[in-house]
Amino acid sequence: MENAAFLPVAFEVVLLAGAMIVLLVAVVAGRSVKVWGPIAGVTFLVSAGVGVVQWIDVADGGGGLFFSAQNLEIIKSPMVVLDGYSAFAAVLLGLVGFTSLLGSWDLIRRLGKRSAEFVALMLLAVAGLHMMAASPNLIVIFIGLETASISFYILAGFLRDRPRSEESALKYFLLGSLASALFLYGIALTFGATGSLSIYGVNSIRDFFSSTILTEPGILLVGMALMLVGLFFKISAAPFHQWAPDVYQGAPSGTVGLLAAGVKVAGFAALGRIFIGGLISQIDTWAPIFAVIAVLSMIIGTTLALVQTDLKRLLAYSGVAHTGYILAALLGGLDGIPAMWFYVATYAFMVIGGFTIVSVVSGPGSTSSPIESVRGLARRSPELGWLLAILMFGMSGMPFFAGFVGKILAFVSADSAGYLWVVIIGTLTTVIGFAFYFKVVAIIFAKEESDEEPINVSLQSRLAIYAAVVVTVVLGIYPWGLLDIVRDALPL
Amino acid sequence: MPILAILIALPLVSALIIALLPNRRSELVYPVAVGLSMMPLVAAGYILWNFVTGDGGFQFTENIVFSETIGFGWRMGIDGISLFMVALTTILFPISIIASRSVTNKIKPYMVLMLILEAGVLGVFLALDLLLFFAFFEIVLVPMFMLIALWGSDNRAYASMKFVLFTATGSAFLLVSIIVIGLITGDALGTLASFSFEDMLGVDFVRSTQMWLFAGFAIAFAIKVPLFPFHTWLPDAHTEAPTAGSVILAGVLLKMGTYGLLRFNLTLFPDATVSFAFWMALLGVVGIVYGAAVAIVQPDIKRLVAYSSVSHMGFIVLGIFALTTQGLQGSVFQMIAHGLSTGALFLLIGMIYVRMHTRKIAEFGGVAKVMPIYAGIFLFAAFASAGLPGLAGFIGEFTIFMGAYLSFPVLAIIAGSGVILVAIYLLWAYERVFTGPITNPKVQALRDLNFREIAILIPLVLLIVGLGVYPKPVMERIQPSVDLILDRITEQTDYQVPEFGSTGEVVEPHYGELEVESHEGGEG
Repeated sequence: MENAAFLPVAFEVVLLAGAMIVLLVAVVAGRSVKVWGPIAGVTFLVSAGVGVVQWIDVADGGGGLFFSAQNLEIIKSPMVVLDGYSAFAAVLLGLVGFTSLLGSWDLIRRLGKRSAEFVALMLLAVAGLHMMAASPNLIVIFIGLETASISFYILAGFLRDRPRSEESALKYFLLGSLASALFLYGIALTFGATGSLSIYGVNSIRDFFSSTILTEPGILLVGMALMLVGLFFKISAAPFHQWAPDVYQGAPSGTVGLLAAGVKVAGFAALGRIFIGGLISQIDTWAPIFAVIAVLSMIIGTTLALVQTDLKRLLAYSGVAHTGYILAALLGGLDGIPAMWFYVATYAFMVIGGFTIVSVVSGPGSTSSPIESVRGLARRSPELGWLLAILMFGMSGMPFFAGFVGKILAFVSADSAGYLWVVIIGTLTTVIGFAFYFKVVAIIFAKEESDEEPINVSLQSRLAIYAAVVVTVVLGIYPWGLLDIVRDALPL
Repeated sequence: MPILAILIALPLVSALIIALLPNRRSELVYPVAVGLSMMPLVAAGYILWNFVTGDGGFQFTENIVFSETIGFGWRMGIDGISLFMVALTTILFPISIIASRSVTNKIKPYMVLMLILEAGVLGVFLALDLLLFFAFFEIVLVPMFMLIALWGSDNRAYASMKFVLFTATGSAFLLVSIIVIGLITGDALGTLASFSFEDMLGVDFVRSTQMWLFAGFAIAFAIKVPLFPFHTWLPDAHTEAPTAGSVILAGVLLKMGTYGLLRFNLTLFPDATVSFAFWMALLGVVGIVYGAAVAIVQPDIKRLVAYSSVSHMGFIVLGIFALTTQGLQGSVFQMIAHGLSTGALFLLIGMIYVRMHTRKIAEFGGVAKVMPIYAGIFLFAAFASAGLPGLAGFIGEFTIFMGAYLSFPVLAIIAGSGVILVAIYLLWAYERVFTGPITNPKVQALRDLNFREIAILIPLVLLIVGLGVYPKPVMERIQPSVDLILDRITEQTDYQVPEFGSTGEVVEPHYGELEVESHEGGEG
């Protein structure tokens, strides 16, 4: 492994280098040069390629723990881990970044001179997101979380002249900072209880539990609870979801795709890493909490989505429900990780596709998009109408669409861990979900005459939407290829 | 040759071909769709021809395991029960597609959705993997929802949503039950899960588990059938759906429910079946009487036929839970007969709706004077629906009646009264629509059926008469399969199939050798 010592952090290095290049070129060559989008696109693709290299390396028996304070032989406190888990996250986040970049292309084009910062922030955000999946050190996970979050605060408020966008950014910043603080406090208490910040390595949290039984686990429990609250906030699990609809609605439509998809991928990656990688011995303590939060998310997400009149808010609440289903997958412990990856990966593309369509229909800088804006969409643009309908069926969990496979895997995982009641509630909320997903479809195909202009879809937006639809349909009909991959995407 | 996979793929490929037709040549869509819709019929003909009569097990089986850990695979097979469901499906779909001549708005997606719907329905009848079955069972909602929501009449938004939510609620219970039974089966086999139907037959489920799982499956199927009191979605969906949608809904989709009861509830949960049989049969009988009684007072002719479906489907459920050879056999036969006769009725209603743009019985009157051919075929279809001897409906209902009488004599007699009610509402409706003086000037201007419309109805008429006169080829293929189901129930429980000459109760034989002889195998 000597010659590939930087492979474990190559993903972050590529993205940070890309961000630096964008910012430096912007300073040197002036901001009027319009190369930021292509540079970022290439960077995302290279980073996904790095992820593939990492994956192959792990499959060949490489991988392991890296960048310790001491020598590589006896790793005391590893900062980065290269395993199937982090490599899969790298590939996924690279592709998610690329697809959402395509989806925000219209916005980038409209931003003109400011697009360099916008693109650089997207790259930085994705680098931070991957650190959450690839680090076994709680502090580094926190740093990744903050890198991503601060980038997203700025992205959400990127249209400074729009009060809605500013409000959205401020709301996200205030609540997000609180969540980060709670997460950090949770880390501190966990450190206090176990004497370690690292999940793996010598004197790790995992080792601690293999040799010790805490007779008074109070501090650990509070620490775990606080970490959970922080992460539940990030993945918008109920009842920590209230920021999501407001932020999604107010943020420029072109940015929400990455915000919704990326944070969810990384948030779940961190949850899986910390709680299944490190605290699996405490599963009896945290699994019931996961179950309750999962059920709350399913119920609150679907019922509130029913009454939304704004498409972005609807997608936000449906995202809360999806968080619930993915949490249900994690109830199965290590066996639930493949289900989590499958679900979160397919959901990420579906939600990017959904927000890209919103961005196309109501404008890339729009800060609201009433459901009525898609009324008769099939008449204005049959192509977009059908694509959005497919995405809606995909998210609703119809068979032969990717959402169904994810749900089945999640339910099987939850049921095999004995959480039948979660499965029952999950299937029932799925049905409630049909009500609003199908309602959107009915509105798309409504017969009312609309005198609005036909819609122009840019090539990049079209690519992003088709990527989402292809993922939804192909992985719905033939999920076995990806399932074979995610079976190996486990934490060390 | 994986003929079952081909059978399901044919409509999908056809849908793809139609989707790829150039948009500016929309006049091509209808003839191409009609031509392509014949292909599954040919494939079904091949299966019918090569089907081995007398073998009750699954034939033409296909088994490709996709995932060992989840125990999921492409498991397909056809037996005497699904054989005729497939035949019915492949007959009714081309007919509905030909009958869709009046659809001009967005004809391309319409045909694509119809063909996807056909593939979904065929999958339901052929799947021997419960997860695959569920996938097909659920996906049928999407094209049907779209057909009602896009091409339905005035109240389509409400009806389509009600249809989806009702049936999906049922499938939620079905999905939970399937996941649970899959994990239990996997447990018995030493894997995480298995959804193979054949695997499940080898597992003995605990009685209490059986009860819960039976309930979960039964709720889903009862809503689909629809069994009283889960029927309220049906009149709305039928009334608002376009003609082809109603034909498919009544002719094929409802059968998915009774097929599910027969295939899964009876076979997988014999203990629970015996315990619940009376109550299910009772619900069936309530449905017969209730559906017929409500049908009498319907002012809308399409709604009337919709309620008559509730009544007829109640008959089928009664036959299934009579748990006798005759009852089961009659049920399968009645599924075919009902599909044909109700399909014909909905087609006929669609034909007059295109001319009059109304379905209100009160606005008709004296139609027979201007449309004699139409009136004749309508009367024929009404008689077929009412079960006139010599027509297919009679064979089905009479066999069910015999089977039900053995198990539940009182219920059977009440159900028999339903037949009288059928005659009342259909003939009364006929009288009001077709006879009497012409009061509505629109009626005076009606033209009789054209050649294409008659040609659509002729196959149905011929099949109804043919099956009514000579049911043997169908019956002899159904019987081995339903006997297998009954054998399994008698092997796994104390249940003894009542026969003529016994009281129907499970008691010590008191008629001598005959009883002892016929019940020897049933002591297990």
